[in-house]
Amino acid sequence: MTDTAMPSPLDPGTSGDGAKAPHPPGQVAMVFDLNKCMGCQTCSVACKVLWTREVGEEHQWWMSVNTQPGLGTPKGWEQMGGGWTEGAPAPGHQPSRAEFGGGWEFNYDEVFYGGKGRSVHLAPRDTGDGTTRWGMNWDEDQGGGEYPNAYYFYLPRLCNHCTHPVCVTACPSGAMYKRAEDGAVLRDEEVCQGARFCMEACPYKKIYFNYARNVAQHCILCFPRLEVGVAPTCARQCPGRLAFVGMLSDTDGPIHKLVEEWGVALPLHPEYGTGPNIFYVPPLAPYRLNEDMSIDEETPRIPPEYLESLFGPKVHSALATMRSELERVRSGGTSEILDTLIVYRWPDLFGPFTTDPASLDRTPEKVAVELTEGSPQRG
Amino acid sequence: MQGGSEVDIVEATGDMLDPAAAAWTTVPVETVRLAPVPLEAQPNAYIRAAWAGRPYGRVSEVRVATVRSGDSLLVRLEWERSGDPPGEFADAAAVFFPAAGGTAPPITIGTHAEPVTLWAWRDRLEVQAALPQAKELIATGPGTFRPRGASAGDTAGSGQTSERPGSVAAASRCEQGRWNVVVQGDLGPASKSGRMGIVVWDGSNDERAGIGAVSPDWLALSSS
Repeated sequence: MTDTAMPSPLDPGTSGDGAKAPHPPGQVAMVFDLNKCMGCQTCSVACKVLWTREVGEEHQWWMSVNTQPGLGTPKGWEQMGGGWTEGAPAPGHQPSRAEFGGGWEFNYDEVFYGGKGRSVHLAPRDTGDGTTRWGMNWDEDQGGGEYPNAYYFYLPRLCNHCTHPVCVTACPSGAMYKRAEDGAVLRDEEVCQGARFCMEACPYKKIYFNYARNVAQHCILCFPRLEVGVAPTCARQCPGRLAFVGMLSDTDGPIHKLVEEWGVALPLHPEYGTGPNIFYVPPLAPYRLNEDMSIDEETPRIPPEYLESLFGPKVHSALATMRSELERVRSGGTSEILDTLIVYRWPDLFGPFTTDPASLDRTPEKVAVELTEGSPQRG
Repeated sequence: MQGGSEVDIVEATGDMLDPAAAAWTTVPVETVRLAPVPLEAQPNAYIRAAWAGRPYGRVSEVRVATVRSGDSLLVRLEWERSGDPPGEFADAAAVFFPAAGGTAPPITIGTHAEPVTLWAWRDRLEVQAALPQAKELIATGPGTFRPRGASAGDTAGSGQTSERPGSVAAASRCEQGRWNVVVQGDLGPASKSGRMGIVVWDGSNDERAGIGAVSPDWLALSSS
């Protein structure tokens, strides 16, 4: 039996039990500028509406925006293990339904139709399994720090479509794979037997379990959209123009520049060892206020050590670059980095995936067949 | 009977899919010892790391009886259920047969060269009411279960189109702390190979995939 150690970044990818898979010719990556995220959850809802509306998917949020600092979703996910440690997969905890929370049923019938609208509040029904005690962004606006130097920021989270996906390694049935075309980490739901080792192994805990169908599920990078040149829905629906999509290897594109050239976009928890392909521009924050309410320009309001715990030691140089660029612009200069992050033209966010989905022919196949077979024409 | 001995297939009398059918009381019952599927045989490094030092394969023996009904084989399995409360995983069991002969022992639950066909049963958790409890799978090692007809990938023996989709059925009862399960499938694979293996998973111990208890030796199937 071939052991399944983490491959070198220079080696071909590994899937299953050491079976060599070719490196993706192109890796689709995303960059989220956390300085622009306002926590509106439009990305989350866009994803929810598109992908997880079926029975068994009620609690699933393939895209979710967490308020930081916080325990996140699932509750305490950063302490649940998984990932790679010294080249070997590290055991992890399988998040429970209670730890994810959500998927609630509300007492609509009682409040709206039961004549108790003035005496009963709208509330989730307590199902006794703890799922009403946590949810997709339970930490909303809790944040950290103390007045007047409280702080928080938002962190959009989705599957990282990792270069070294430990979930693929952990799957015993061979249902999971990293797609060559675009580097998306996917699962054949016809093959998945619901063993859920992927959920344990994923250190980001962004894999959910569909109890109704006995399969695990996670973000699919909107691959059916990518295939027709449309950006993932989380990026396209984002009103803040903060979600970039593109090929990591496109040296002319914003993703490559932000990640590789300028070093201002960083992976979340790089120490997990999976090589995420979702990157974040770390948040700057307002200056701290002194006790007399004067501005302290020397001390960042968000503790640098906290940001380092999320994005690794490179966060300091990333923030230094951002501050330097800001200063240059304030002094009357120009900044290609800031111009890129401002996104003057909305389509510039989407790299090669700028097709408007409204321009696609989405006539249901069944209707087309009916028409060709001589069924009555529709009005 | 220790593993490696014979299990006698007798003629069924009436519908015996129900494990409580009276006819089962007349069928010879054999006790088969089970052993944990070896950790080193698990299909990937993650599972080996996650279960190192953690006991599994907690069902140590199972009582087995078999009957033939027309073109079908029915296997009745009975074992003591764990007293632990159910968690994320359901109790489950399967019988399996060499898909194409070979010499590999059953403790591997198939190999790439010698896949096995499983008739698998699984209890339903409360939230899984709509799920089927029985299905036919192909395995090329512990936990490497795939539905028949699933895409082949590099897995020998898969990629086949099932000739009998939905041909496996099961019924179960849990009484006085003991599971009684009957799985039914096409007699063909069983009679062709003349051998059968058994694997049982204790769901309350998070056992699933290759983490379970298996018959260390093939059970020879004989017809009286």
